[in-house]
Amino acid sequence: MDLGTLSLILLIALFVLLAMGMPLGFASAALACAVLVMKFGPDLLFRDFGRGPFAVIAQAIYRQLTNYVLISVPLFIFMAALLERSGIARDMYSSLNVWMSRTRGGIAIVTSIMAVIMAAMSGIIGGEVVLLGLIALPQMLRLGYNQNLAIGTICASGSLGTMIPPSIVLIFFGLVTETSIKALFTAAFLPGFMLASFFIIYIVIRTRLHPEQAPLPEPDPNDPTGPEKWALFCGFLTVLVMAVTTLLLVRALFLTVTGGNVLEEGADPLRFGMISDIPYLIGVLVAGALIVQFVIGRERVRKGWELGKGLVAPLIVIGVVLGSIYGGITGITEAAAMGVVAVFVISVARGEMSFDVVWTSLMRTMKATGTIIWVTVGATALAAAYTLAGGPTYVANLIVGAELPTMAVILVMMVIFLIMGMFMDWVGIVLLIMPVFMPIVRALPVEELGFLGGIDPAYVAIWFGVVFTMNMQVSFLSPPFGPAAFYLKSVAPAHISLTDIFKGFLPFIGIQLLALLVLLMWPSLVVAFL
Amino acid sequence: MRLVMLVTTVATVLLTLWLISGRLFFGTGISLKQFLSPADTPSVLLTMIFGTAALLSASIYLSDTRGPVESEPSGFFDFVSLVVSRLAMIATCATVLVMFYEVVSRYVFVKPTLWANELSLWIAGFIFLFAGLYAMQQRSHIRIYIIYDMLPRRVQKLADVMSVLLIWVFAFLLIWGGYNEALDKFIRWETFGTAWDPPLPATIKPAILIVVVLVAIQALSNLIADWHKMPEHHSPLDDIDESEIEIIRQKLKD
Repeated sequence: MDLGTLSLILLIALFVLLAMGMPLGFASAALACAVLVMKFGPDLLFRDFGRGPFAVIAQAIYRQLTNYVLISVPLFIFMAALLERSGIARDMYSSLNVWMSRTRGGIAIVTSIMAVIMAAMSGIIGGEVVLLGLIALPQMLRLGYNQNLAIGTICASGSLGTMIPPSIVLIFFGLVTETSIKALFTAAFLPGFMLASFFIIYIVIRTRLHPEQAPLPEPDPNDPTGPEKWALFCGFLTVLVMAVTTLLLVRALFLTVTGGNVLEEGADPLRFGMISDIPYLIGVLVAGALIVQFVIGRERVRKGWELGKGLVAPLIVIGVVLGSIYGGITGITEAAAMGVVAVFVISVARGEMSFDVVWTSLMRTMKATGTIIWVTVGATALAAAYTLAGGPTYVANLIVGAELPTMAVILVMMVIFLIMGMFMDWVGIVLLIMPVFMPIVRALPVEELGFLGGIDPAYVAIWFGVVFTMNMQVSFLSPPFGPAAFYLKSVAPAHISLTDIFKGFLPFIGIQLLALLVLLMWPSLVVAFL
Repeated sequence: MRLVMLVTTVATVLLTLWLISGRLFFGTGISLKQFLSPADTPSVLLTMIFGTAALLSASIYLSDTRGPVESEPSGFFDFVSLVVSRLAMIATCATVLVMFYEVVSRYVFVKPTLWANELSLWIAGFIFLFAGLYAMQQRSHIRIYIIYDMLPRRVQKLADVMSVLLIWVFAFLLIWGGYNEALDKFIRWETFGTAWDPPLPATIKPAILIVVVLVAIQALSNLIADWHKMPEHHSPLDDIDESEIEIIRQKLKD
């Protein structure tokens, strides 16, 4: 059978199987078998039991199951489940709120900032929207914030988890396309922050133009005033800097004692870990102490610390996870395990841990892992079978041979992502569509990508990955099945209907599309830090 | 079962401590390497027997209680899936501990282990397989309901039968193609070829085939259990579990 017919039958069969409600993973697994039958004919396949082309499927599954990076998926889910049950988020909210309470639209801005911090702690979106919806939504509605603004802020910012590392979507993209996940994380940082700052700028402008949409709370007489607040904040920052310096100092001393920082010939020096760094670290500590004593004053520093200490736990978690990855201590997988341990220890210290919390979190982890991994299993089998049949190359040649304008091809892909995103989970899209799209993108002429500034051919896959996660941002909000809406619905007051929620999303979807456009026009933005 | 669980767990812990202290203080030289061929060393064999018993009894005991996020078991095969899921949950904790141990010993004590990496790979392979069986029992595999919900119940039943049939076909063809290889690796006890050298291919390759068959049986069990259910309307809201939100809500109040 020729490849064109085979691909067409495959596509139609996939639609039929999904429409009749077959689980995604098993539908693709069954289709993997069908592809092999169409390619090789039943004759060759069933000649003898126990071998033959069908072995490809078992091999593909085995390869996926023994993939070290894939272990990070259950660990990150486990960590997010534990985080949700701890009071870390609530304390962070009150800490952030203190600093912003007198700003117009303050709670909305706090919500966005908090979402970014939570996104940097874990890469799962559902929990974030639920937590923000429980913490920030009642506050905003009580103050008389515009309902659409409140809803949109919570859901749009709550979806940032997939953009800002560590992100499960990027992990899967890296696995499927065999790109470095660390590079993907680094590349997604800037676009993620760009999107978050777009949200905040939008909130600021909208509330300045329509002050009635974001009334200020009644001033609390005990509340510190503007300049005083800055002083308190500086006090808090000083303590933070001193704490980090102390940690680095202990590490440097430890390395000196154990001889861990004696360099071999040609090795890079450990950052802040060398003997020569110790005087500087002590210097920073002394300077901090002097500032605390004479510039800000102890009383103020203590108060600032009281107000800000809710931010410490999240910063520790971020430090442990992202610090392990970028400090060169561990890979992604072990960083996830360290994150689990960090959250566990913090929760124990806060007196919130119990066997029940761990056990329920584990159940949720297993359910989520089972669903995600088995879609992976099925889709890998299908991708392996289709690749064996020569499918992806055929499609890539077909598209590239058609001499279409490069950016038009990319735009069509974006539209396909957006439409698929309305109906399908990101896992399915990344696992089923990427193996077909990626060879096309790689085959397109690099110099024609983007309009402002080019991109290094080595980074094309990374750029496309970041663009893809931006698409998935939209898919979390897009009607009719945007998951963020349903998560918010489950915690919102009963009078807010799904239609209301989706209405609130509209301007934010517009902002996301704008950010997507920026990435498409200006690819070098993505590779700025690589 | 609770008693069995407690006794075997305590015995395992004691034996492990005995082995570790023996290695640290008396130089018995029993390391994890011996665990890969337990028949040679009686104390290791004993530890492994007790360890297996502890794991199994704990899983069976813990599968009796249902968590707030779980649906009640209704099919004839649910028991197996639940026990297996408990195994996978304990294994997840084990993976975290193994990795934590590895990071600490490598970074703080500059003494990387030889076994942590492979051990976590080995455990994780089983976690992934078992989690799929559990997800099947909980009916949480990703499905698209838009059109399915519009069909009359009769046609829905037909579609369900087709789905289960196709899962069976897949399981059958997977075995058709992979049987020899799996059996081969198992008989030759093929190892991973690293320093610690666990029999990863020898165990996971056959496990894939076995678990896929179990999943197929579970799918059949689900079909029978759900046969007389009323048609229900699915929405993404079903995936969100109310009890969890209630707990978080309570927590935020105080």
